[in-house]
Amino acid sequence: MKTNDSGSGDVRLTGISKTYGAFTAVHPLDLTVPQGSFFALLGASGCGKTTTLRMIAGLEEPSSGTVHLGDQDVTALPPYKRPVNTVFQSYALFPHLDIFENVAFGLRRRGIKSVKKQVEDMLELVQLGEQARKKPHQLSGGQQQRVAVARALINHPKVLLLDEPLGALDLKLRRQMQLELKRIQTEVGITFVHVTHDQEEAMTMADTVAVMNGGRVEQLGSPADLYENPHTTFVANFLGTSNLIEAEVDSRSGDDIVLKAGGGKLVLPEARCSAPTTTGGKVLVGVRPEKITLTHADDAGEIPEGRNRITGKIADSSFIGVSTQYVIDSSVCPDFEVYAQNIDRDARLVPGADVVLHWSPGHTFGLDAAQDIDAGIQEEAAV
Amino acid sequence: MPFVNWLKRHFVVIAGLLTLAYLLLPNIVVTVFSFNKPKGRFNYEWQQFSTDAWKDPCGVAGLCGSLSLSLQIAVWATLGATLLGTMIAFALVRYRFRARGAVNSLIFLPMAMPEVVMAASLLTLFLNLGAQLGFWTILIAHIMFCLSFVVTAVKARVMSMDPRLEQAAQDLYAGPAQTFLRVTLPIAAPGIAAGALLAFALSFDDFIITNFNAGSTVTFPMFVWGSAQRGTPVQINVIGTTMFLVAVLLVLTSMIISSRRTRQKA
Amino acid sequence: MATLTEAPPPLSPTAPATKPPRKRGRLTPYWLLLPGLLWLVVFFALPMIYQASTSVQTGSLEQGYKVTWHLATYWDALTEYWPQFLRSVLYAGAATVLCLVLGYPLAYLIAFRAGRWRNLIMILVIAPFFTSFLIRTLAWKTILADGGPVVGALNTLHVLDVTSWLGWTAGDRVLATPLAVVCGLTYNFLPFMVLPLYTSLERIDGRLHEAAGDLYAKPSTTFRRVTFPLSMPGVVSGTLLTFIPAAGDYVNAELLGSTDTRMIGNVIQTQFLRVLDYPTAAALSFILMAAILLMVTFYIRRSGTEDLV
Repeated sequence: MKTNDSGSGDVRLTGISKTYGAFTAVHPLDLTVPQGSFFALLGASGCGKTTTLRMIAGLEEPSSGTVHLGDQDVTALPPYKRPVNTVFQSYALFPHLDIFENVAFGLRRRGIKSVKKQVEDMLELVQLGEQARKKPHQLSGGQQQRVAVARALINHPKVLLLDEPLGALDLKLRRQMQLELKRIQTEVGITFVHVTHDQEEAMTMADTVAVMNGGRVEQLGSPADLYENPHTTFVANFLGTSNLIEAEVDSRSGDDIVLKAGGGKLVLPEARCSAPTTTGGKVLVGVRPEKITLTHADDAGEIPEGRNRITGKIADSSFIGVSTQYVIDSSVCPDFEVYAQNIDRDARLVPGADVVLHWSPGHTFGLDAAQDIDAGIQEEAAV
Repeated sequence: MPFVNWLKRHFVVIAGLLTLAYLLLPNIVVTVFSFNKPKGRFNYEWQQFSTDAWKDPCGVAGLCGSLSLSLQIAVWATLGATLLGTMIAFALVRYRFRARGAVNSLIFLPMAMPEVVMAASLLTLFLNLGAQLGFWTILIAHIMFCLSFVVTAVKARVMSMDPRLEQAAQDLYAGPAQTFLRVTLPIAAPGIAAGALLAFALSFDDFIITNFNAGSTVTFPMFVWGSAQRGTPVQINVIGTTMFLVAVLLVLTSMIISSRRTRQKA
Repeated sequence: MATLTEAPPPLSPTAPATKPPRKRGRLTPYWLLLPGLLWLVVFFALPMIYQASTSVQTGSLEQGYKVTWHLATYWDALTEYWPQFLRSVLYAGAATVLCLVLGYPLAYLIAFRAGRWRNLIMILVIAPFFTSFLIRTLAWKTILADGGPVVGALNTLHVLDVTSWLGWTAGDRVLATPLAVVCGLTYNFLPFMVLPLYTSLERIDGRLHEAAGDLYAKPSTTFRRVTFPLSMPGVVSGTLLTFIPAAGDYVNAELLGSTDTRMIGNVIQTQFLRVLDYPTAAALSFILMAAILLMVTFYIRRSGTEDLV
């Protein structure tokens, strides 16, 4: 159980799946987590992300497929023989043992006699040196969380699995712990696989995010890539907010596709469209709310040429400090969202005002229109 | 009417304390009459203060023998019922298996059955098998009726236990045996202890089932029963009082120790 | 075995051939259940069957018994002993109601009003268990003794006149009357009422009382509409834990009653251990069991708390 004993320490899932009777929790799945990376499995509850994690840990037996850690096939190994440790949801600290013994648990089970130095160092790393002789229930949520991390990390696992590790913490503490975990990961250089339903958490912490939905990986990539270039409506709606418009392919001009939506025309770079585009076919056009500029209808003439535009009427606006969020009632989409930075606020932009929404075509993305346009919206609202 | 108001506000407290008094009155009588010096064979009327019985608690033929027999049976019945009951409780909570409903009914029924019915039917079995009534038949009967109570007590505790704790142990290199010894058992211990205590109390105090299946063997409750017909020696009260005091003291000390321990750690 | 090796491997090609998938103890639950269930089957269920068969046997102790499907035993038992059956139900019912009325305030007191005395009161409720219940029941002979302070007080207050008129007591005596037996039954099974009541009351969030008060409920309304309904599981299991053993009890009737207060338990005990009329005793016991099971099932259905165990 040494760290990095072979050249490659990647986690490799090959055709792995899990079924419970007639219910398929995880469809056959191939996934490689590069050594040393911070990898997030993101999805709503019941999407199969925790099941996937538990199959890596050995707590769940895959119905098919294999799990490799580096060159070693660990599919048939029980959890206590895998060089993998888990930070459990709500921590699962042993209530009958004090903090020191909780952290020392893994070392002792592996027959290591002198654990004192290691445990003390580890408690120092998570800033809990003073609490060693307390019982878990005497600590605060944030402290318990750090004990759970220390208890897993002390074993120098090849991979650290984190199952919603911050779910029980309040917002402020969660932000703090996100940075803390990121720091620890950089410091120890161990592969982290992090399961979460919080898209902000996943984007803040991970190098690579796999968005899961209905037992499948919808899309995998860096946070920025997923955000700017979603391939499915689920990803577009689950990560942040997207305005999706149904449009019809009209023509092509160079690398761009020209679309008809409502009465107007929209331009979409072909490279940013994940759906097949045949003339006359339908496509979903998406744009993020912060990419859009609002101009009062009276000033429509001042908008530069070459930008995508849509006209509408402000239905609602809410001031939230750094930005103002508008809901626009337009012909192509009943509630178009626009986030405007509060730099030069136009006093005329109040509910009821006629406006033009415009954005650079390069910020437009295109999705397959055969999908549910609202996929991923409810899930996020429920969280 | 301040008094009426006071009465209204404290009605529950007064009624509750009166019930408590009703519960404790017989124990007070038992204790007081352990210092009695009765005239006849029966210790029902107060005559004269005396500590004779306390000085010679075993002074009645067969009394201490029956007490020691009852204690032995209670210890073995507790061990047996706790072991078997804990196993069943774990199976019920932790595993899936067929015929769960039938298993649950089989465990529930002994608790929903009047003792006299179980006693009589068990005796029918022993008579049919030609079994020699005595220590072993009593022990068998006691394990039988204590079992369900242990299952209920342990089950409640195991059910409230987070299964992730055992998974965490496995994740931290503890094999199945280690996980059970280091995590499952210590956490389930209060439930098992509660079940064992209940089994001990039930077994030690059982009369009806024992009376049917004891043959000529005499346990402590049977000795008391017999003495109710032949004459009640004061020593019975001495033992009853002692048991009461020992129980209260044991519980009090354990509570003081545990509260002191939590205070130190906090 | 040969056919097995010739068969193509059923596993997917990705699975390593040397390590078959683990089978995580599919038999484990059965091994855990086996000894305990075997015990219950042999020493609880099997005896019930033996008893059922005994109840339809005829014969005598000297000549042995044979199964003759003599169902008349049941009829004879019922016609001869129906007063004892009726008495058992009445006495046990009265004791159950008394236990509920007396036990509820005590459970409520422990759950909500005892504060730091809670543990002490709990101990005082449980500790009497450790003094043999026979000794404690005998103590009632002293408490209710003829001419004793309790009987004297009841006499002075003319309570005994009323109870005698009702047939609960006889003249100046309490001992050897139905009242004494019910009093003993109530006393003996009171903790079995208090403990489940306490358990379900303790689970009630104290803020619910405040919320009810905030929503214009008087204390009595709060109790009727909030506290009592929420304590129903405790009421149901408490009444069952009181009624069932009380209905089968014969100790209180024997020690505190007279021949006029004999309950069905007394009859079964006498038939079995003294008269040695096994078929009749088995039939009586079987009827008692069936009656109780019917009542319990009906009661649990009615009160809607099926999950008692």
